[in-house]
Amino acid sequence: MFTQQLVNGITEGSLFALIAISFSLVWGLLKLVNFAMGEIYMFGAYAGWIVVSYITPNLFLALLAGFAVGWGLGWIVEKVAFKALRGVPHIASLVCTIGFSFLFKEIAAAIFGAQTKAMPSFYSSTALVVAGANVSWLQIFMVALAAAMMLLLQLLFYGTKIGLGVRAVALDYRTAGLMGIKVDRVTSIAFSLSGALAAFVGVLAAIYYNAINPYMGFVPGIKGFTAAVFGGITSIPGAILGGYLLGIIENMSVQFVSSGYKDFVSYLLLIVFLLFRPNGILGKKAKL
Amino acid sequence: MISISRKYRLVLQLCVGLLLIALPYLLGNQYFVRIATMIGIYVVLASSLNLIIGFTGMYSLGHGAFYGIGAYASAILSLSLHWPFWVTMPLAGLFTAMVGAFLGLATLRLRQTFLVFGTLAFGEIVRILIMNWNSLTRGPMGIPGIPVPSLFGFSFKNFSNYYYLVLVFAALVVFLIARLYRSRVGRAWVAIREDEVAASTMGVPVFGYKVLAFTISCLFTGLAGAFYGHFVRYISADQFGMNESFLILTMVALGGTGSIIGPVIGAVILMLIPELFRFLAQYRSVLYGAILILVIVVKPEGLAGVKGLFVPPSGTARFHFRKQKIDSAAEGQAGGGAA
Repeated sequence: MFTQQLVNGITEGSLFALIAISFSLVWGLLKLVNFAMGEIYMFGAYAGWIVVSYITPNLFLALLAGFAVGWGLGWIVEKVAFKALRGVPHIASLVCTIGFSFLFKEIAAAIFGAQTKAMPSFYSSTALVVAGANVSWLQIFMVALAAAMMLLLQLLFYGTKIGLGVRAVALDYRTAGLMGIKVDRVTSIAFSLSGALAAFVGVLAAIYYNAINPYMGFVPGIKGFTAAVFGGITSIPGAILGGYLLGIIENMSVQFVSSGYKDFVSYLLLIVFLLFRPNGILGKKAKL
Repeated sequence: MISISRKYRLVLQLCVGLLLIALPYLLGNQYFVRIATMIGIYVVLASSLNLIIGFTGMYSLGHGAFYGIGAYASAILSLSLHWPFWVTMPLAGLFTAMVGAFLGLATLRLRQTFLVFGTLAFGEIVRILIMNWNSLTRGPMGIPGIPVPSLFGFSFKNFSNYYYLVLVFAALVVFLIARLYRSRVGRAWVAIREDEVAASTMGVPVFGYKVLAFTISCLFTGLAGAFYGHFVRYISADQFGMNESFLILTMVALGGTGSIIGPVIGAVILMLIPELFRFLAQYRSVLYGAILILVIVVKPEGLAGVKGLFVPPSGTARFHFRKQKIDSAAEGQAGGGAA
C-alpha cells in the first residue's frame, strides 16, 4: 500500500507541480495571483471532454484543445483583471479574479449542467508492478508528459527571445520597457501561457480521475497555490518540488490518517507555510 | 454618495424605519417575510465583513466559516445542554470572536493577497472539520430540530415574529458599527486603511487595531450564524462554504466598501435579485460573478462607497492609472462601451 500511495502521490504531484508553475509564472511577472486558475483548469477539462466524446477519441487532440481554451481564458482574465486594473492596488485584481472564478464555474454549470460527467479512460492497463504497487500506463504517460512540459518551459524561458523578455520583465519591468521590450505583450503571453498550462493539466486530471464537473477546479486551484507557496512561489524549480512533495504528502496522509482529511493536510500546510516560511523551501528571500 | 440635507435625512430614516416595521403586514405572504428575515441576517454579515474590508483594508474569504461556527456553536449548545437561545446566542458569538482573534493574531501579519488565501484555507479547514467530526456535528447529516427561541413564554416560531427579532438585531449591529466608525477606534482603522506606515508613525498600534477589527467582525458574524441556525432550524456544513464567503464579499463590493449604508444596500439588492427574476434562477450565480467583476473594474468604490479604497496612493502609479482611465474612456467613446 505504501508504494501504491507513493506512485499515486507522484502522479498527482506532477499535476500540482504544473499548476504551481502557472502560479509562479504569474507571480514572478506581476506579483499577483490569479484566483481563477482552478476554473481555467476546469474549462480545459471540459474542452478535452468535448473533443474526446463528440469529435475524435484522440488524447493528444484533447490536450491541445484544453491548451487552446486555457490560452484564451488566460488572455481574457489578463485583459480585464490585470491590464484594466494596472496601477490599482493588487488586491483589486485578486478580488476581480475571484469574481472570474465564480463566473467561470457558474457559466460551466449553466452550459454543461452541474452533474458530474464521465470521462473515458486512456491507457488504463497496468504497465508494471513495483513492489506490489500497480503502475498504469496512464500514470507513466502523465509523469513523462509533465516532465516534458517542464523541460519545454525551461527551453522557452532560457532559449528563446520571448523567454528572455519574460525573465527581463520579471526582474524589472520598467527597465525592461526602456530596453525596448514590449512589456504588455510579454505579460499577456506569459499570462495566457499560465492559463494554457492550467487547462492542459485539467485535461490530464479529467482522464486520471475519469470525471468532470463544474466545481472540480476549486480544490486543485488552491492546492496548486499551496504547492507554489510550499516550494517557494518566487522560483519555478521550487514550484515543481512543492508540487511533487504535496502530492506525496497528501497521499501518505490518506494512508496514515484518513481519506476524509486529505484536503485538510494541504490547507494546514498552506497556513503553516504562509505563517512561518512564506518564502517556501527553495524561494529566494522576498517580502510577501 | 447622494447628499441629502439633514432635515430630509431624518424624514427619510423615519420613513424607512416605519416601512421596515410595517413590512410583515405589507407583504402578507409568509414566504416574503422569510426572505425579508434572511435579508436582515445578510445585512449583518455584509456589515461585519465591511468592518474589516472597508475600515482596515483587509480581505477575508473565511467569513462563511465564521458564520458556520456561530450557527453550529449555538445549535450544539442549545440541543445538548438545553440552554435557551438568549444564552447560547451570545456564547456562540463570543466563541466565534475567540476563534477569529486567534486566526487574526496568527495571520494578520500577512500581506493582503496571502491573507485572502490564509483565511480561505482556514474556512475550508473548518468545513472539513464539521464534515468529519461526527460525534459533535453529526458530519454530513447536519443538525436538524434546532429549537425556536422564545422570550417569557412568547414564541418566535412565527416568521413575522422572528422577522422583528432579526430586525432589532440587524439595526443594533448597523448602529453599533456606525458608532464605532465615528469613534477613536474607527478613525484609527481608517488611518490604517489609508496608509499603514503613516498610521504607525502617528502612534497607531496597527497590528492591535487590525486584530480588534477582525475580532469584532467575527463576533457579529458568529451572532448572525446563531440567528440563522435558530431560524432555519436545520444546518449542515455545505451551507457555510466558500460560496457563502463569496456572496458576502460581493454584497460588500457592490454596496460600497467603507460606508455604513453600502453593505446594507448590497445585501438587499443581491438577496432580491434572485426573487425578482425567478426565470434567472439558474443563472443567479453567474450574475453574482459578473457583478463583482463589473464593480471592481467600472466602479471600484461600489454604489455608496467611500472613494479611495482602490485608488493608488501616489507617484507614477497614479499617473499610469489616470492615463489608463483616459485611454479607456477614449476607447469607450470610439468603440461604444468599454469592456
